[in-house]
Amino acid sequence: MTALLKIASIETLYYDRIYALQGLSLEINEKEVFTVLGPNGAGKTTLLKTIAGLLKDQPNKGTIQFMGKRIHRLAPERVSRLGIVYVPEDRGLFRELTVKENLDLGCWGRKDKGIHDDFEFIYQLFPILKERSKQQAETLSGGEQQMLTMARAMLRRPKLLMLDEPSLGLAPLVARHVYDALSQISQAGTTILLVEQNARMALRIADFGYIMESGRIVLEGTSKELQENEDVQELYLGLGGETVSPKGWRLYKKRRTW
Amino acid sequence: MTNFFQYVVSGLSTGSIYALVALGLALVYRSTRILHFAHGDITTAGTFFAFTLLGLNLHFWPAFILAMVFGALIAMTFYFCVLVPAQRREATQLGQIILTVGLGLILQGLISYFGGTEPQSFPFPLSDTKIYRLGNVVISELSIGTFGIGLLTCLFLYLLVQKTRLGLAMRATSENLPAAQTMGIPTRGILALSWGLAAALGVLAGLFLAPTLLLDPFFMLEPFLKGFAAAILGGLNSLPGAIIGGLILGVSESLAGGFISIAFKNTFAFLIIILVLLVRPEGLLGEEFIERV
Amino acid sequence: MDLIESYKEELQLIRKPWTRVWVGAFVLALLLLPWYAPEHITYVFSIIFIYTVGVQGQNLLIGYTGQISFGQAGFLAIGAFTFGHLSRLGIPWPIGLLGAGLAAGLFGLVVGFPSLRLKGPYLAIVTLGFGVAVYQVFVNSEVLSGGRMGMIIQKLSPHFGLSRITYNYYFNFLIALLFTLVSYNIISSYMGRAFIAIRDNDIAAEVIGVNLTFYKLLSFAVSSFYTGVQGGLYGLFLGYLEPNMFTFMEAITLFVAVIIGGLASVEGSIMGAAFVILVPQVFSSFKEMVPVVYGVTILIVLIFEPYGLYGRWFKMRLYFRNWPFR
Repeated sequence: MTALLKIASIETLYYDRIYALQGLSLEINEKEVFTVLGPNGAGKTTLLKTIAGLLKDQPNKGTIQFMGKRIHRLAPERVSRLGIVYVPEDRGLFRELTVKENLDLGCWGRKDKGIHDDFEFIYQLFPILKERSKQQAETLSGGEQQMLTMARAMLRRPKLLMLDEPSLGLAPLVARHVYDALSQISQAGTTILLVEQNARMALRIADFGYIMESGRIVLEGTSKELQENEDVQELYLGLGGETVSPKGWRLYKKRRTW
Repeated sequence: MTNFFQYVVSGLSTGSIYALVALGLALVYRSTRILHFAHGDITTAGTFFAFTLLGLNLHFWPAFILAMVFGALIAMTFYFCVLVPAQRREATQLGQIILTVGLGLILQGLISYFGGTEPQSFPFPLSDTKIYRLGNVVISELSIGTFGIGLLTCLFLYLLVQKTRLGLAMRATSENLPAAQTMGIPTRGILALSWGLAAALGVLAGLFLAPTLLLDPFFMLEPFLKGFAAAILGGLNSLPGAIIGGLILGVSESLAGGFISIAFKNTFAFLIIILVLLVRPEGLLGEEFIERV
Repeated sequence: MDLIESYKEELQLIRKPWTRVWVGAFVLALLLLPWYAPEHITYVFSIIFIYTVGVQGQNLLIGYTGQISFGQAGFLAIGAFTFGHLSRLGIPWPIGLLGAGLAAGLFGLVVGFPSLRLKGPYLAIVTLGFGVAVYQVFVNSEVLSGGRMGMIIQKLSPHFGLSRITYNYYFNFLIALLFTLVSYNIISSYMGRAFIAIRDNDIAAEVIGVNLTFYKLLSFAVSSFYTGVQGGLYGLFLGYLEPNMFTFMEAITLFVAVIIGGLASVEGSIMGAAFVILVPQVFSSFKEMVPVVYGVTILIVLIFEPYGLYGRWFKMRLYFRNWPFR
């Protein structure tokens, strides 16, 4: 299978001197769910923004290819029109517009007949949005806002859906609902690139995962491999580690294998 | 009492001019967060262009439409050739304001050079001296025309912004630029369009103002400042606010000029604005400042 | 960036020996200028010195405290006419200048009050209204503006056997120098830090104990004091005042000077003052086209250097300091 998105050793800098991504490479295959995990400041959000073209003149070095075409340093509008949809951390809603208007904007540039079906699909996925369609987006609750952004993203018929921490600030139950919707979306045939802090949830739906630290990919593997990796278990899943020392304290910090 | 109504009527007519100017400023501020200091000069340039075209024996309406297009072109050129490169180099907000000041200076110089600095009278299809009586109140044809065109423009703008897809895109872009970009909306084009539309509205105001004042390179300075004040009064972010602000400013100015002192007309107008702002710091219809701490 | 190791070093105005050398050279050059340069250049430089004072005041307000004011022409007029009236009463110039500053400062305090509630463009329009009001009052009141023909002020009579222009040059130079030193001291004191804190986040500043009311009003008062003194100096220099010298364009000129020079930097203010005076002077042979050239220069400078002339200077210095590397 050829890679849908192929990133080759990109470097992204902030203010011309702070490296956020240093020589990062990854590949994403079609119709799978990929997740990128990592602590705060690892550069996960930067990675998504770089792909979406939201950072001016970045990446500084390296190439990004989407379906064989280079997309690095394109304007965000152009990237978006190719079918890459980025859902930012702050959800990127138009807060003063109504839910329906937000969804309409999701169809920007589409004139095909499928719009109606897509609306059906998302209303079936998130029935609450139909009830709230006349309401201003800022009056929605956090969970509903997340659903709205995902629905809006789906209306663009994305080839690649990039989500930045969809579970941020959501109650566990709501987060689970969001993730259920995500797995439905993925089953419908959309490639998903998911950035998360909540490793457990992300790995549950992901097929393949990357662990990122300080701007580099340090570990990659299928979701299962990652879940079984000792370091990942300790650092991201919170398993083990506590019973290492018989006296209840640890003499040394466990050395990571990366 | 008759005097009172007379002042209100003439205030509404100047008020609609202010409203047109304020609408342009509010459009620009909403979309790009820039106080547009060259607005008055773009307007003057457009009006002078119309004047030149009329001098070439062109008919009124095509000349006016061409003038509005001319103004819009200046604004859009400025957006693409100056603001976009400046934003790429991360110009500060204040820096961008100064860029518009620079444009204003350039236009001022060019207008003085090509148009001459002597005041000229501006021919107009609606007459200033032909008057209608409504009870005891006297209205000139020009005032009716001005008020009418103001209303029409507001209606047009309302329909454009609220009812069309383009308007939806404009609202989305002004609210959340990065999100609009990721939606694939051509934001550059939308922003340039806002600038152009603003300039066209300004030129329209200038065309209706020119017959009452004499045409010289600085004739828009005062209406521009008033339009600014009107936009602030209504709340810079709000288009209906700009219209209401303009009308209130026009009427209160006319009343102050009539009943208190004509010399301090401007001062009273600003005094009213200061008082309103002290009660409602975000302007009449502006969104309240919500501060996240 | 400079590394500061001790509080004593923090208080020092000049930290690097090299900086000391070039500042010394710069001051020396300015001191020697009237002996070598033609008269009209001396004259232009005197005006730059006068503007330096006002631009620094405006920069304290815009650059350091982050409050936008378009009413600076009003303070300028108040300062100038106060000075004029005082000098007509036969009061000597030091007290006259002080009075000009204080009068403007007092009005600055009054204009500062709306700043407690208003922000950004809203504050700008209130101050703009103040500027317009002051202008109209002076235009309409002959008592205040000294009559139809404008107000004639006794110019300085030269001492020490210097020519009038040279004497004026040194006089304004010393006053500009004095105000520059005062600005440096303000920004490196508690007051300056409070201003900067208010600019960056006024709520956070209030939470950590900066008295918001006091310092916002203070910044307005200090800034308008500077501007008032500029007005007084201007009157003393030209020997004649009329309300038309203080229109909206004057406020814009000061504003342009601050932004072009560079926000929040004293050196920038000096460069900005020089810019707004020199550019029209240098291109004065273009006659009608002067505003065009001036506007184009502003566009070019700001497109290519968004942080103003000071930003460019700063980058150059950084480049030479690290020279072989980078």
